[in-house]
Amino acid sequence: MATDFACKTIDPSNPTGPKVDAIFPGDYTLRLYKYSPVDYENLRAAKYVLEHTERILFGVREFNQGGWCYTGRPAEWQVKEGVVAPFPDNVIFAVYLNPNMRVYECRPEYAADDDPRCPKDWQTRYRGLIWKSTS
Amino acid sequence: MEKHFLADMMEGEGKPSFKAEPWYNPHGDCIVFKMVNEAFVAERVDELLTVYNSAVDGRAIGFQIKGVQAIIRKFGVDGSAILSEADAHGVKSISVAMLLLAAYEEGPQTMGRRKAYAWAMCQADKTISTDELQAA
Repeated sequence: MATDFACKTIDPSNPTGPKVDAIFPGDYTLRLYKYSPVDYENLRAAKYVLEHTERILFGVREFNQGGWCYTGRPAEWQVKEGVVAPFPDNVIFAVYLNPNMRVYECRPEYAADDDPRCPKDWQTRYRGLIWKSTS
Repeated sequence: MEKHFLADMMEGEGKPSFKAEPWYNPHGDCIVFKMVNEAFVAERVDELLTVYNSAVDGRAIGFQIKGVQAIIRKFGVDGSAILSEADAHGVKSISVAMLLLAAYEEGPQTMGRRKAYAWAMCQADKTISTDELQAA
């Protein structure tokens, strides 16, 4: 049985403080490994985003209060089995975490026109942008 | 390619094999359905439905329904013959198409939503076991 994997990332409650653990749940990663191999491969991109975050948005869901969306741009991703390609310019990779800092979704989304490091429609989908990289 | 950071954890889990069937993700309280083993770009239709477009050629290859527990709570699945299949022992499974229909009823009746939900419903002649629908 796969176990949880912890990865250090920015603390969304205290972005300038010490880094905290983001957890990839074992049952989630195992499901991708067994039945969705390309998505499993692209967990590499998700880990990269957590380690090289460009934006953190909060207030993700209408029904599940709280949660965070971390975004970033990996250099490449797997588009189909055995085929790695540069990550597209008009897309941003989003990693969603619940209030317990457990990853529940990793997915590329179309980038916003006004801030290509945020997902499209970010102004209305989230309650706010809480952190952005300065680099 | 560099070794996957989870490779050691997946040892002994067998050979991966893509499965085109909907599954419930308890951490996200969502149902995910992907029809092909390709990367996708998520296109949000509304608060409850997201369509997955292929990174290879842009065609729609899957979808995600969010807020599943809230939909089930609202429609009272235990007593509902609309959303579920039941036997003498209770509710056994939930129809994905019926969850989509319930989600559709939550939002405005725009052409964009109608098209996206209609497409998803055409792909979703599936059920999810209620045993699987346990939130994290």
